Amino acid sequence: MGVPELLQFVVSGLKNGAIYALIALGFSLVYSATGVINFAQGEFYMLGGMVAVWAMRSLGLPLLAAVPAAVVVTVAVGALVERLALRPRRFEPPLVLIIITIGVSMVLQSLARHLFGPDELALPAFTPGPSVVVLGAAIERQTLWVWGLTAVALIVLWLIYTRTKLGLAMRATAVSHDASRLVGVDTARVVMVVFALAAALGALAGVAVAPLTQTAYDVGARIGLKGFAAAILGGLGGPVAAVVGGLVLGLVESLSVAFISSTYKDAIALVLLLAVLFLKPSGLFGRSSREKV
Amino acid sequence: MATTKRTGGRILGTIILVLVAALSIAGCATPAGDTSGGGAAPPKEPVKIGAVLSLTGSYAGLGAPEKNTLLMEVAAINAAGGVNGRQIELFIEDDATDPAKAQAAAVKLIEQYGVVALIGATGTGQTMGMRGDVDRAGVPQVSVAGGTVITAQFDPLVFQTPWSNSLVVPFTLERLKKDGVAKIALIADSGGFGKDGIDVIKKLAPDYGITVSSEQLFNAGDTDMTSQLTKIKGSGAQAVVMWTAGKEAAIVASNMKQLGMTVPLVGSHGNARREFITGAGPAAEGFTFAAGKVLSPDQYGTGSPEYKVATDFIDRYTKQYGSAPDTFAGHAYDAIHIIANALGTVDEVTPSKLRDAIEQTKGFVGVGGTFTFSPTDHNGMKATDLVTYEVTGGEWTVLK
Repeated sequence: MGVPELLQFVVSGLKNGAIYALIALGFSLVYSATGVINFAQGEFYMLGGMVAVWAMRSLGLPLLAAVPAAVVVTVAVGALVERLALRPRRFEPPLVLIIITIGVSMVLQSLARHLFGPDELALPAFTPGPSVVVLGAAIERQTLWVWGLTAVALIVLWLIYTRTKLGLAMRATAVSHDASRLVGVDTARVVMVVFALAAALGALAGVAVAPLTQTAYDVGARIGLKGFAAAILGGLGGPVAAVVGGLVLGLVESLSVAFISSTYKDAIALVLLLAVLFLKPSGLFGRSSREKV
Repeated sequence: MATTKRTGGRILGTIILVLVAALSIAGCATPAGDTSGGGAAPPKEPVKIGAVLSLTGSYAGLGAPEKNTLLMEVAAINAAGGVNGRQIELFIEDDATDPAKAQAAAVKLIEQYGVVALIGATGTGQTMGMRGDVDRAGVPQVSVAGGTVITAQFDPLVFQTPWSNSLVVPFTLERLKKDGVAKIALIADSGGFGKDGIDVIKKLAPDYGITVSSEQLFNAGDTDMTSQLTKIKGSGAQAVVMWTAGKEAAIVASNMKQLGMTVPLVGSHGNARREFITGAGPAAEGFTFAAGKVLSPDQYGTGSPEYKVATDFIDRYTKQYGSAPDTFAGHAYDAIHIIANALGTVDEVTPSKLRDAIEQTKGFVGVGGTFTFSPTDHNGMKATDLVTYEVTGGEWTVLK
């Protein structure tokens, strides 16, 4: 296998990996603030793509306006999910809340099927044009967007976490809801903001990927599962852990096609996940990053 | 204060949930056939027919036109007085593109509604999933899925309306051989239809002097196939043959263009969908696939009986649903009319008599071709029912 081919496998792995990373970021954000795995995270991804297509087709918005519109709508949905479905039950154990998020994901999916139909829908590329060729490996322009948006999301999240009062409140809430309330943090509002942020990340991934893959009402569940695996791989810790988890998962999948077989690529990725959990139950970054945050 | 606010949220949440639930139920409820139409009560009891279709999941785009067609055709048959004075009552169940749910749906239709015949399922895996219960209950099944196994693993009760892979594969290989292709690479979905296609191609390719240089699979829902295509690119194949009916087909075409692959991409009758062209965009140009003549009824010759059946169906469908039917709608048309025709010939409607009557179908002109079943052939079509289409300028054109 030559260098260009190997590089192509790496590009493909990092492309899928970046998508998984954006979803994993949403999982770990919500988890660290509430201790809940939000299984509706994949539906935010689906909504991002579907709302963008709908805004272009039905409202006639240009792509430049449809993309932010899709993110804003999904953020509103994310905040509403927290306010209407989770907050009334916020004193229940996390398992109850996790099951609520499963219900929410079913509701969002069937709602999307009724509103947007069962067919797959296409979104135009952000910047159409031939692939960029680097050392013999072709990189689609849309892939550059996916990478760019992942990087921007990571930087913005890091700034929020470390440089703002909101970030301080989020970190405090992650450590202890009760103690945070004692010192005057409105934890309910913090959790709502966290859901909105997670929705924004999901929607961002959804619109960035839709030009590559088309989108449909049922794409959320599968990508949610992959993002969840990536988040676990990273140890459900800080943003960096989630991104590394996503990229590692994408690379493993792509390299198993290269060196083993496309038939088993998903199985190999899952075996790796199990192996990591056996050897280091807290994930790749589990303990250390928890303490840092 | 805080308590009131929370209660308010809970009430609002409940209202929205109830609304959503009502919406979902309205959409999913079993749409029964039109039995209430007409003033006078039907003199005889209606004939119950069940259909298992993929209305959700990865084949939802196939199941929707099939459902549209069945509803339209049953309404038309009933409006014309039904079959032998008996109305048809249709029960549709969603299998969510899941073989286990297809099996459960078959049980429900047979046991709960007492249907005398089953249409479906949409997919090959789902169709095979129903077999155990079809055999147990002795109810005839007319599948609208294209896998060869459906009729190759012969079951006296099971019929099939799409061109099976054992018909389409030789037709496709013949064309490749004529174009001077000796080495192909395969890419297919890991589901029933894709695997079935790969098996048939690998079995028949040597007969056409064609070798398979690489064999790649992807899963429904995968977002990127560049890894598999990079393997194919390095294998020296002169053409890529793709076997899938899912939405991932458009990703394969786009990824090939992205990788700068110039070898032709050849698909199957599973790709005869507009969504493939809009999804793949410029990458769809030059894509070829074999399918029946329903996409271009002129091929039958204007004025021929086949032409009349196809254009009549296309016109009515377009009028009712606002867009032209695809091949999958055609498979459903053929399934319901083959059953209705057979119903017309039996003196007493029982599943076993109906099965015998369906097997007697001879020269039935449908939308997908002309069907002649026999005790050993339950697919009933010929290679002459197929043509090759090419995508040019975002449209299907017939390749001579």
